[in-house]
Amino acid sequence: MSGESQVRLLYRAGVLGMAIFALGPILYMALTAASVRPDFLSPGAAFEFTAAHFVSVLRTTSLHFPDYLRNSLVVSGISAALCVGIASPAAYAITRLPLPGRMLFLLCILAVSMFPPVSMVSYLFRFMGTLGMINTYAALVLPYTAWILPLSLWILTSYFAQVPADLDRAAVVDGCTRLAALRKVVLPVAAPGIFSTALLAFIFAFNEFLFALMLTTDHAARTVPVGIALFEGLHGEIPWGVVMAASVLTTVPVVLLTLVFQRRIIQGLTRGAVKG
Amino acid sequence: MGKPPGDRRPPPPDVRERHTAGELARGYAFLAPVSAFVAVFVIVPVIGTFAGSLMQDVTFLPKRFLGLGNYRAMLSDPGFWQALRFTCLFTLVSVPLELFLGLAFALLLAHPSRARGLLRACVLIPWAIPAAVSGRIFQLIYNYHYGLANYLAGLIGLSDRPVSWLGTPVGAFASLVTADAWKTTPFVAIILLAGLSGIPEDLYLQAEIDRAGFLRRFTRVTLPLLSPVIVVALLFRTIDALRVFDLVFVLTGGGPGGSTNSLSLYGYHYFLSGDFGYGSAVSVALFLIAFGLSVLYVRAGRFARELA
Repeated sequence: MSGESQVRLLYRAGVLGMAIFALGPILYMALTAASVRPDFLSPGAAFEFTAAHFVSVLRTTSLHFPDYLRNSLVVSGISAALCVGIASPAAYAITRLPLPGRMLFLLCILAVSMFPPVSMVSYLFRFMGTLGMINTYAALVLPYTAWILPLSLWILTSYFAQVPADLDRAAVVDGCTRLAALRKVVLPVAAPGIFSTALLAFIFAFNEFLFALMLTTDHAARTVPVGIALFEGLHGEIPWGVVMAASVLTTVPVVLLTLVFQRRIIQGLTRGAVKG
Repeated sequence: MGKPPGDRRPPPPDVRERHTAGELARGYAFLAPVSAFVAVFVIVPVIGTFAGSLMQDVTFLPKRFLGLGNYRAMLSDPGFWQALRFTCLFTLVSVPLELFLGLAFALLLAHPSRARGLLRACVLIPWAIPAAVSGRIFQLIYNYHYGLANYLAGLIGLSDRPVSWLGTPVGAFASLVTADAWKTTPFVAIILLAGLSGIPEDLYLQAEIDRAGFLRRFTRVTLPLLSPVIVVALLFRTIDALRVFDLVFVLTGGGPGGSTNSLSLYGYHYFLSGDFGYGSAVSVALFLIAFGLSVLYVRAGRFARELA
């Protein structure tokens, strides 16, 4: 066999392995969710299809899964919008004005994003408790926004830096305020970057766990990850079919986002990490 | 913002525009909302945790100043050392594994192919779903009676008896590492992929002219040019692995017997039981470790930029 075809064979095997690695557990989750019994792999058992788990996740009011999903979508959506809205002017100022100390500012902000959530959560718990905001959307949206802002700022800064400064300089000279130049000139040109940033902020907020665990108490504000983590059966046994059905329903929106916006997500991620 | 000077002609592009003090002040105002958010919801809470770690702060007990009392107690607490040991070991095992797999994935993804976009999207999926969900999936995979892991082990005859994955310290550790590798390898792969695409094509052409084989091209061209990006991915992942919480919470709950308590989870248990002072001290310990490494990260980032 020639070297070239050996490499091709190796490549094919690698791709197959990679796909199985990434999708195998997802497939297993989906199969368990759609199986009458979770032990369909056991000797003597067989896979038998049912949609009952999905129905019960969506219909059983005591599980509150639709509430969790709604809470997650609302909290992540607002957080992502706030992140982009607050980080955009800052990214604009950093890329357009020769502010002394702006690099130091960016570096400090980056260091902040490395703080472990556990070193903030107890204080936030007390703080939100004093304000009577435990178990509200605000108790999650505010910390999420602050926690995801550093990354949003880094990504947006690298996108804005690519928009030619002459564009908005001309606008300013023509009498626009800086804020108007940002809104009318930079934002439309950098729209794809803004979208990438919002998408990443949404995913980060959607997946957050510790804040949601400590700052919510029930279905009024609890998010999906915490809901799924705390699902318990009646007798302490995990109701696998229901848990996996809930997991599938949680995964579907994220998978759709990933499939459709793969390029945007990858671009945003690499802006945040590499270009910095 | 103020009226521009009377002259309405745009300045020549190569002349640096002058910024008045007022405009710079307004520039700082653009940074104010970010600063305010981060200060109120990140910096102040961290300072609050530092302050709290110096107090006896237990529900139903009078609050009083302890100085370093919580830290002294921590140093003689076997549970803390166990959590520290687990957290370090978890980071030291999972991060290199993810880096190795991530590099392999990045090389595969960089290869031109018609299904490239689809392939990248598939690889991204584990990264995009919540860790709590992946924790549940792997909890089922490692189920003693009917999980996929024991099924596969039996299928290829690896063991004649089911393995108690989550019931033994070693098994639980291995389960956490594999679950974490599944979830975060995509992230590493994507970062390294960006680094790979930054390597000039000519270098490979030159290597081809020199009849350098695949392995030689990899060690002489790819690896050296990729190393700054590898450093970035390494430190991102290290800091993330050190603060692992949700995966452990769901998959093992810190068990069996506290053997897989991460520092985050250990601190959280104290918050849960109402001992905010001691929990804060544990959190501060983790904070200092992560912060030390993030300083290193910023340094390495600068180092990487200089190389690039």
